Amino acid sequence: MNTPRKPGATSRSRAATPRRGAQAKAAANAPPPRAAGSAAAGPGASSRFRAWGRHHRAMALDSSRRLVRHPVGSLLTMLAIAIALVLPAALWLTLSGARLLDAEVDDGATLTVYLEPRVAAEEAGRVEQAVTADTAVQQTRLISAEQGMADFQQSLGLDDALDGLEDNPLPASIVVTPKDASPEAMEALAARLGEVSGVDEVRLDLAWVERLRHLAELGRRITLALGMLFSLGVLLVVGNTIRLAVESRRREIEVVTLIGATHAFVRRPFLYSGAWYGLGGGVLALGLLTLGGHWLALPVQALAASYGATFTLPALGVAGSTILLSCSTILGWLGAWVAVSRHLASIGPR
Amino acid sequence: MIAFERVGKRYGGRFEALSHLSFHVRRGEMVFLTGHSGAGKSSLLRLVMRLECPSRGRVVVAGHDIARLHASQVPFYRRQIGVVFQDHQLLFDRSIFHNVALPLEIQGAPPRESARRVRAALDKVGLLHRERAIPIELSGGEQQRVGIARAVVNKPALLLADEPTGNLDPQLSADIMALFEDFNRIGTTVMIASHDLALITRLRHRMLRLADGRLVADEGAR
Repeated sequence: MNTPRKPGATSRSRAATPRRGAQAKAAANAPPPRAAGSAAAGPGASSRFRAWGRHHRAMALDSSRRLVRHPVGSLLTMLAIAIALVLPAALWLTLSGARLLDAEVDDGATLTVYLEPRVAAEEAGRVEQAVTADTAVQQTRLISAEQGMADFQQSLGLDDALDGLEDNPLPASIVVTPKDASPEAMEALAARLGEVSGVDEVRLDLAWVERLRHLAELGRRITLALGMLFSLGVLLVVGNTIRLAVESRRREIEVVTLIGATHAFVRRPFLYSGAWYGLGGGVLALGLLTLGGHWLALPVQALAASYGATFTLPALGVAGSTILLSCSTILGWLGAWVAVSRHLASIGPR
Repeated sequence: MIAFERVGKRYGGRFEALSHLSFHVRRGEMVFLTGHSGAGKSSLLRLVMRLECPSRGRVVVAGHDIARLHASQVPFYRRQIGVVFQDHQLLFDRSIFHNVALPLEIQGAPPRESARRVRAALDKVGLLHRERAIPIELSGGEQQRVGIARAVVNKPALLLADEPTGNLDPQLSADIMALFEDFNRIGTTVMIASHDLALITRLRHRMLRLADGRLVADEGAR
């Protein structure tokens, strides 16, 4: 609640003091400024707004100075906030990295149409045309028996073992991407395609798609629940810290209330403290996430490489960082609001 | 300026701090409030400051029944009253200057204007040279004068004081009272609770004497 000590004002005051003192002493017996009424005459709206802005700036500065004055305590509070934020943020990052959160799951929804064995290549083209003719089909890709065999060998890494086979046991197949990936539509399409002559069997990986969808939903909900839980944690951490701050400045609050401070005025420095705690916690959380990302990057890449995949841990990016910082700041502010409001009622003037 | 109309104040179930209290203080008057401790002086001042509301009757200040003020209006009401406390209620973590500037800061006065008024008020109580000191470095009498400077810095129409000379020796007390008289002379309505009868009878102002929460004497009204 300190007024900011503006360097300019201070030096001016020092210079002015003796001169002013002499002047004022001479005028001590003269009537001092008008007494009654002037206090009641309210200032204009624009000057009130300027005063409001001035107080905001002053309190933002003052509360940050108070944090700096107790670096260890402030840092511990921010660290507690950071830890509470890191867990849900890391989970969200992992899930989004695994693409579970994206709607891209639908891309995996394809049907595989197996042709009857020994269908000749020209005939396979005809069947593909018939399949493409269905209005629900978006795209098709014909995989000939030979290509299927080649893919199979490659994916297994069993070049030699299969060379021993005289005949190619695999049928030609058509991979069909449907326009509508909903289970019902795919089910209906599969039934229709099964009727096409030359088609042996239609497989659809609905079960897998469904499982993935459920898993994604589960991940989303767990992240959300954890996020809310840990946000509550942040509120409590900030609330408790602010409660102590309010307690330690109880006398000051009583005095300013006695001389006409509004609740908003009393609350303001604490709200700024809360926001600073939140922002500091958010920055620390970002730091921890980056650190953790670097620490895990190597083993993750090695693991992915051993599966022949490339997978890099996702980073928050500018948008994500902004969201994290705003959330943490707002949470800190909210926590302070709750704490101060609860305590203002109990303090009041004696 | 202040009108009490059959005011009663009851704390808890039984104890009546004030009862059937009626009096009127005109604008620009200077009034002493006296009586033994526990007679109800402080309760009366708390009612005027709107720290409490009367259990019965009305307290009218500057034409307003202050019990009717909405909670959000109370701060603005208090800004028009300067209050000097017995324990002066200074904040020990900031300089004399900033203590006196507090009411202006609360009102949002521009810093330049604020500094000017703070120095004027400090000068009036003779402490301009101590503006950069912190309250703990000041003597009791000086602290009380800082409290007075803070009470008058926003030129209130009404100045209240609760035992302002409670802890001071007679000479300092007389000085403090002379200060209040100065403010009264320029039109401020002043109401001072004090049990220092020797001092206040000498000053020849109106005196309201309380005993057991009742007004037992109203002397010297002009």
